[in-house]
Amino acid sequence: MNSEKYDKVFIDCFSVDKAKLQKNLEYNSIPEWDSVGHMTMIAALEETFGIVFEMDDIIDFSSYKVGKEILKKYKVNIS
Amino acid sequence: MKTFSLNSVELLEYQPNRYPFLMIDYVTKVKPGEFAEGYKNLTNNEWYFPIHFPNNPNVPGVLQLEALAQMLTVAITTLPGNKGKITHALSHNVRFRKEVHPGQKFILKTKVESWKRGICKGYGEGIVDGEVACEATMTITIPEILEQYLPKNKT
Repeated sequence: MNSEKYDKVFIDCFSVDKAKLQKNLEYNSIPEWDSVGHMTMIAALEETFGIVFEMDDIIDFSSYKVGKEILKKYKVNIS
Repeated sequence: MKTFSLNSVELLEYQPNRYPFLMIDYVTKVKPGEFAEGYKNLTNNEWYFPIHFPNNPNVPGVLQLEALAQMLTVAITTLPGNKGKITHALSHNVRFRKEVHPGQKFILKTKVESWKRGICKGYGEGIVDGEVACEATMTITIPEILEQYLPKNKT
């Protein structure tokens, strides 16, 4: 399931629980999602879904919810 | 890319640290984006030996690690477009195995394990008298590149 894979990346990278994700986690809203955390998360998503993000999408990936929309461009649908 | 060496003057174009914090004398071989190797010759004139320690001068562990990080930096700053860029440390995990003393040649061998979007992960060994004195996994960044990839809605 893509949604489970997607959540797992966030949980593994930022040590958050699912409840926090549902509240729409945002960049820099927690200490773990800082500049380095952002790149770690992007790399983990690329590896998980076998994609390579374009630079603009990495910049636009500002929240858990926005990320779901961005992934649609790469034919990864998160329900 | 081809391998090449950097003497003590050429090195300054690729490594922003300066005396007394430059921990490399010579880069014997660098392949940009892949590895960098070289050394620091240690004499009693090093600024830290009189204080670390008066009766047993040895290179502080933090400076051994700094030497490895500086050498790993060279493997990245020699890539096209990175010359002269400032690097920052993000995380290091180091293991010290032997003391390093005045009179020894501190050989530094580093390799790049990944380089992507301004973040470099790598490994390095500091060697004296043919034995590993310290080894470290390191993550360094070129902030100028990293920042280009960050969301702009928050700082």
